[in-house]
Amino acid sequence: MSDEQLPIPVVKPARKGGRPSAVWIVPMIALIAAGALAVKSYFSTGPTIRITFETADGIEGGKSEVRYKNVPVGTVVSVDLAKDRKHIVATVELTRGAAMLTAKDSQFWVERPRIGVGGVSGLGTLLSGAYIGVDVGVAKEESDEFTGLEKPPGVTHDQQGTRFKLTATDAGSLAPQSPVYVVHQNVGKVSALELAPDGKTVDMEVFIQAPYDKLVTTSTVFWNTSGLDVTLDASGLRVSTPSLASVVAGGVEFGTRPSDPPTPPAPENQRFVLFEDHHHAMAIPDREPLVVEMRFDEPFRGNGAGVNVEMLGVHIGDIGSISPGYDSATRTFFYDARAIVFPHRLGAAYDSLVEEGQRSGLSGPQVLQSLVARGLRAQMKSSNFLTGAYYIDLAFFPPKRNAPVVVEKPNVWVIPTEHGSSEQITDQVASILTKLDNIPFAEIGQDVGNTTRAASQLLGNLDRTVVPGVQNTLAQAGVAMGALRDSLTALRDNVAAPDSAIQQSVRTSLEQLDRAAYSLRGLADYLKSHPESLVRGRASGGEPKGSK
Amino acid sequence: MIRGVDLGITACKTCELVVRLGGESEGVCPRCEEPVRRRRPKAMQRAWAYLAAAALFYVPANMLVIMHTEQLPTRRDDTILSGIAHLWHSGSWDLAVLVFAASILVPVVKLASLGVLLVTTEQRSTWRQRARTKLYRVLEVIGHWSMLDVFVVALLTAVVQVGRFAKVEPGPALLPFAGVVILTMLASHSFDPRLIWDRAEKA
Repeated sequence: MSDEQLPIPVVKPARKGGRPSAVWIVPMIALIAAGALAVKSYFSTGPTIRITFETADGIEGGKSEVRYKNVPVGTVVSVDLAKDRKHIVATVELTRGAAMLTAKDSQFWVERPRIGVGGVSGLGTLLSGAYIGVDVGVAKEESDEFTGLEKPPGVTHDQQGTRFKLTATDAGSLAPQSPVYVVHQNVGKVSALELAPDGKTVDMEVFIQAPYDKLVTTSTVFWNTSGLDVTLDASGLRVSTPSLASVVAGGVEFGTRPSDPPTPPAPENQRFVLFEDHHHAMAIPDREPLVVEMRFDEPFRGNGAGVNVEMLGVHIGDIGSISPGYDSATRTFFYDARAIVFPHRLGAAYDSLVEEGQRSGLSGPQVLQSLVARGLRAQMKSSNFLTGAYYIDLAFFPPKRNAPVVVEKPNVWVIPTEHGSSEQITDQVASILTKLDNIPFAEIGQDVGNTTRAASQLLGNLDRTVVPGVQNTLAQAGVAMGALRDSLTALRDNVAAPDSAIQQSVRTSLEQLDRAAYSLRGLADYLKSHPESLVRGRASGGEPKGSK
Repeated sequence: MIRGVDLGITACKTCELVVRLGGESEGVCPRCEEPVRRRRPKAMQRAWAYLAAAALFYVPANMLVIMHTEQLPTRRDDTILSGIAHLWHSGSWDLAVLVFAASILVPVVKLASLGVLLVTTEQRSTWRQRARTKLYRVLEVIGHWSMLDVFVVALLTAVVQVGRFAKVEPGPALLPFAGVVILTMLASHSFDPRLIWDRAEKA
């Protein structure tokens, strides 16, 4: 085939070659799209922070999340050992929106399943794995280095309320998260608890939720309601149970002494004393105590410490320590009891005594001396025979000739003692026994025998004379009853039998009455249809309607 | 050697009718009325544009998360590379190699080869023309296979939806990745292998 025979296509005019092709829109779009993705991913990654923890238990780099109120706000990028090799450092990439989490006082902790006194928490992490919880702080400054908590914080920043400090000599079973009550209502919790630096007391921080934090005033007292309070003392057995939760978890309760006047709400972080129980908290606060020493010649059961010291029936103090001693002069043992008493618990009596002493220019020990001269003695008394509890009573006895002198020791006030009441009891029991001995049991027995004999004689008489008469009476009564029964039978025959005369006459009367009523109805019907008959008389041949 | 272009004749791509196009670059076939072109129109420009777009998409495709898996108690966000590393570490080295080949190697090779082809053609190079032609043919063939990743994610997303126990979701990198694959295919398709020889001849 030669060239000339080839068909010639319809030629399109050539496009302008200089203009760039529209296809360049594609890379433009790609640029915009890739740029948008880059911008988006840049803005979705927030700041990177580093958190130090004791252990990396449960957290994994690239996997574990950071959650605020259970909303994921970041991811743990990596977990590394700290330079000191004692901690781990979790590097966390927060999301852009979570930048506010970097406040300097934000708190981080690892959320794991926990069973604690305040309940069970973090069960969800059993399935989802541990995550890092965060509590956003309020500080303006930001930070990218944080020290993680080992336990979730007791109180998070978003809770409304007030914190107070407590000092306790014994925290009992209290622990962080233990509830705080007022009138047995849970209004807060123990947020922190740690041993004071001196190792003698426990410092606590409690958090009271708003609006109940206003209930804490400057005169409020806190006490421990942990567990069961079983007290066995002079007043007997006393069991006080707070709520079941606080039996298990321990608890703190607060309130105001009824005697205290209203006071303004306490400022945040005010320090209070945590009393060991409600009883102690409500007691009038003690002022300066006095150390009193007493020498007893009777042994104390147990160690004696904590035994009440009472005066005028008021519990004014407790025995602190007992130490036995030996007096080689009299070759006897004695027991020195040292008590701490708060004499102002006597109230007005104490005030008057002090006033009197001041008026006559007597010093404190001299006032005591004058009391001792008037017969003030310490005596061991049994308060409860069942439990064998005893107490020390400061009471006045008739002054004896050989009253011991008050020995003055530095800062110690000595009170002489009287023989314990237990010895007196022994004496009384002995005298009772003597009296029992004197009772003429033999003669009494004889008398009782005589009386019994007389009684049996009397009964024999009764048998012989009274019983036959009674028997006669009973027989006659039987006859009378028979007669009564006969009369009743006759009456029944006359009245109740169907063919009795009374029945028949009654029936006849009733039938007649029935007929009369029938006629009366016929008349009434007639009158209703022919009222004129009352005037004109009965129309001839007009049978009343309905009658036969 | 004489080319059809030199004689002014071109074959219709559709009905194979040989026509005399003369000096024109485009006409309509008198038999089937389909366009008859001397060369693919604006082949170089198009190929460059698509290649540039593909290269742009390649960055987010590899940087961003391609697949989000939740399988209690763990959840993972994987980019392509971290997914391959995970496969490798969890013992599935064969799968890791496969995914690496399909998702990393092929796109890179495609982008690079297309670049080489375009640059050499632009320079009217006579360097290894046969090898370059062969390279082009290979590109056309393997192009389809790099969609593997997209299919894997799409398939897993559809199949693994066991409520809250297991879940697979595509990540933001998936669309750029699909874009890379499609754009490289478009680029290699718009390129006209005859240009490898055209330009060389003219020089």
